[in-house]
Amino acid sequence: MLFSSLADLFQVHWNDYVGNIAGGLLKTLGYTFASFTGASVVGLALALMRLQRLRLVRIAAAFYTEIFKNIPLLAIIFLTYFGLPSVGVRLEVFEAGVLSLVLFYAAYLSEIFRAAISGVHRGQQEASEALGLGRGKTFTHVVLPQAVRLALPGTNTMFVDLIKSTSLLVTISAAELMTQAQLIASETFRALEVYLVISAVYFAICYPVSQSLLLLERKIHAGVPLSLGRRRRLNLAKSFLAEEGADP
Amino acid sequence: MMAKPNNITLVCNQTSGSPAIRISGLHKSFDGRLVLDNVDLDVPTGKIVSIIGQSGGGKTTLMRCVNLLERPDQGAISIGGETIFSAGNVTCRNLARLRQRVGMVFQRFNLFPHLTAVENVVLAQMHAGGVGEKEAVARAVKLLSRVGLAKRAVAYPEQMSGGEQQRVAIARALALGPTVLLFDEPTSALDPESTGEVLRVMRELANDGMTMILVTHELPFAKEVSDWVVFIDGGKIVEQGTAADVLDRPREARTAAYVARYASSG
Repeated sequence: MLFSSLADLFQVHWNDYVGNIAGGLLKTLGYTFASFTGASVVGLALALMRLQRLRLVRIAAAFYTEIFKNIPLLAIIFLTYFGLPSVGVRLEVFEAGVLSLVLFYAAYLSEIFRAAISGVHRGQQEASEALGLGRGKTFTHVVLPQAVRLALPGTNTMFVDLIKSTSLLVTISAAELMTQAQLIASETFRALEVYLVISAVYFAICYPVSQSLLLLERKIHAGVPLSLGRRRRLNLAKSFLAEEGADP
Repeated sequence: MMAKPNNITLVCNQTSGSPAIRISGLHKSFDGRLVLDNVDLDVPTGKIVSIIGQSGGGKTTLMRCVNLLERPDQGAISIGGETIFSAGNVTCRNLARLRQRVGMVFQRFNLFPHLTAVENVVLAQMHAGGVGEKEAVARAVKLLSRVGLAKRAVAYPEQMSGGEQQRVAIARALALGPTVLLFDEPTSALDPESTGEVLRVMRELANDGMTMILVTHELPFAKEVSDWVVFIDGGKIVEQGTAADVLDRPREARTAAYVARYASSG
């Protein structure tokens, strides 16, 4: 045994650092939600561009995707925070952090979204158009809901990966969890203990998130109606069926 | 005996007034391969026209041109007296409205798998027809009852048999009150029992006077319900006439060979 007891391993007065941890956690969540929202929007736009008939548009989107899929996230963070000021673009830490994560994850999400949209059978679009729905409504009500189901597993993995990747922002002192850990470790000289605790905090966020997303995935695949509109329509249908004496 | 020339408009002899569908001089090619070659056809209101022929002969393409899911290269199409396509251009001002008047049932059902049966029937009513939610659901339930599926209304397509799915597809096509229904080989993906269920529903629609174009290999059914039968091969109408004429006394060797083959395999 390296330690005679757990007491030897855990000697930091964590009560003194609750504020640091909580502040870091909030920052981590802030980076995560802002970046994931941005990456999803850009990723969807890129996916739609890659499905366009116009070759130039497809090439532009493919070029972006290949560039950012093949550059390390750390390099992108350094470029946006340390590199851009040399051409007159000075970003705040939060802006640079979010921009880096958006640029990087949009490339991966676009691949997931493109595959999901392509995975919706062409007959679905035809059936919708044959019913008189225009292209916009066909996409919103027929293609997108099915594409979301197909994209969920990959997107969920990316979301959890993004939470963990915010830790790379320690390199630009982003005040998120890992930056707080570094500060606490430098104050206490208890690197093993501090990074074990911070790892446990990351686990405590990521594991429930990934399990919740898995549960959501299962519910959607099991056909549980999640939107209020769908629930209302199904309840209406059941009441009409009951009136007709045809309870399902 | 000579076939009727395929470039002359042939009208079912029972017709009165303007036809529900008028197709004239229709051409369509895919990658330089001619799929429809100067096809003329009139479908009078309330009549049922069956299109038969070998796979790849152009019958499905002809039907898909009627609601402009395929855009012809040349020719003209009118629905209910309104020209929707002429001289290579779509002249229909409101394509969505046209498609609400012309319902279509696909070979592979194409139900929306993320929605229940009743929601499949509701969707187009609300988002294409502008029908209110309560009215759309009530109508969907009635239509599902009509095709014998009220008890399966809240089931998802993957929980249903092929025959049930196809009947939901028919209810969905009927939801916007179309004047014409197009059936693209509606039973070719079904087992005999499911085929019987779907044909029963189609027979009821026929008895109600719905104008229908039916692409099928089900020759006994085509003979039973059709007012007019069209045999297409190589993109041309080879022969057409009443069901008794085409299926019992075909004049063309190609028609006779096809009828003999499918009558025995059916």
